[in-house]
Amino acid sequence: MAPENATPGDLTFGAALAELEEIVRALETGQLGLEESLARYERGVVLLRACQAKLADAQQKVTMLIGELEEDAESASEEPAERAEGAT
Amino acid sequence: MATAERALSVSDAMSLAKSVLESVRITVVGEVSGCTVKPGYKAVYFSLKDDCALMPCLMWRDTYDACEAELRDGQLVEVTGSFTAYAPKGRLQFQVRSIRVAGEGMLRLQVAALARRLEVGGLMSAARKREIPAFPRRIGLVTSPRGKAIHDVIRTLRRRYPVAEVVVAGVQVEGEGAVAEIVCGLETLAGEPGVDVVILGRGGGSYEDLMPFNAEEVARAIVASPMPVVTGIGHEPDTCIADMVADLRASTPTAAAEAVSPDRTDVDRRLNALRRLLGRALAHLVSDGAGRFAALARRPVFREASYLLAARLQTVDVLADGLARALPVQLRRQRETVERARDGLTRVGSRLNGPFELQLSRDRERAVAAGRAVAESAERRMGLAAARLDDLSPLAILGRGYAVCYEGDGAVVRSAEAVARGDRVSVRLAEGRLGCLVEDIEKEA
Repeated sequence: MAPENATPGDLTFGAALAELEEIVRALETGQLGLEESLARYERGVVLLRACQAKLADAQQKVTMLIGELEEDAESASEEPAERAEGAT
Repeated sequence: MATAERALSVSDAMSLAKSVLESVRITVVGEVSGCTVKPGYKAVYFSLKDDCALMPCLMWRDTYDACEAELRDGQLVEVTGSFTAYAPKGRLQFQVRSIRVAGEGMLRLQVAALARRLEVGGLMSAARKREIPAFPRRIGLVTSPRGKAIHDVIRTLRRRYPVAEVVVAGVQVEGEGAVAEIVCGLETLAGEPGVDVVILGRGGGSYEDLMPFNAEEVARAIVASPMPVVTGIGHEPDTCIADMVADLRASTPTAAAEAVSPDRTDVDRRLNALRRLLGRALAHLVSDGAGRFAALARRPVFREASYLLAARLQTVDVLADGLARALPVQLRRQRETVERARDGLTRVGSRLNGPFELQLSRDRERAVAAGRAVAESAERRMGLAAARLDDLSPLAILGRGYAVCYEGDGAVVRSAEAVARGDRVSVRLAEGRLGCLVEDIEKEA
């Protein structure tokens, strides 16, 4: 479990999503006090936005540790189009 | 047997051995070694070996050409034929009639043997299998940098989960050196920070092509990997050792990429669901709070207390207000009434008093006179009565000079005989008393 006070931007997608789900679960139990509930809710909204932003902005990065990636014909023609799409 | 009696020539003996050996046709599996295929030769020579034994083989050139096999050292082959003896050199040879190069059956046998060994070693135990992370930060990929597999994986990950970075170790995946490179690729990714899962993949190929993925070294490297390894090897339903020891086996590189990544549309849906749940949780929280508040407010103790209190406070206020205003007025009004009554009474009183006063003084004088008459008459009658009372009193008799004598016990002494000399008697006079001692007694005759 990631620290709950971590900046959502610093959390990995999975950690942010897990925390968000935990928050929703906790809120649904209805066992929290009003102030605690509201604090969790706010945190949940921030995490939700962070997750959605990560997903929306993501452009897959490929790093070659060993060897050179040989572009195949199919992928070479596909790449520029997808990059342009990703930038919009 | 007759032949046992007579010594054979060496030639005869070898000939006998040869005929006996050749009568038995068998199939043998072994690894090719020392293979000699020379254009001018009538036969192809090689050995088959296993861990403990070596078997020299020959195969006639035309038979070899007909089977379209290409023998290489290290290959596993299945040969059918029979032993024979080469008399001039006294050598035992296996004469190969047919050969199945890289026979899948053999490879499978070999692989199965290794699989059993690794299984016994616990490498395939379900308990060893690690969970594939749902949202990997970086995804490792060990595969050939050429070919379809790497692009299949990258395309799939880009479509499904572009959030994760793909870290590729491009290695040779078939032929000599493949095993070492695959192991090196796995080890390199093991040292990369943030890699949460590794895909080991290659496209389809013959069973022999996939042999590096059946190597024990690769199996051990997969087991040694600090992060889970997902295999996506070939399109065939074949299962290789790498698949068996991997944490998860996918049938193709694309399937492996899918296995290590969440589906973006699923993630979107999940986030939307969470957004709704979060909103609902807040709404519920607010409505629940409001509901609880309302329910509390409806409780009689709260509702009536406040209501009654308010009403009563208001009543008190109104009364206090009225009182404040009414009191002085009332007081003044009552004082005026009292004063008026007193004035009236004074006036009426003086008017009433005149005649009554006269009457009263006359009555008083008459009453005094009558009273005096009554008093005088009563006084006279009382004097008479008192005189009569005096006459009757023993004291009045004593007043005339008589005395009464009492014995000591208080009894009146009426006779001299009642006392003796020396007795003490008491004598009551009209005034006072005498204590006397009887000295002399005279009895009347």
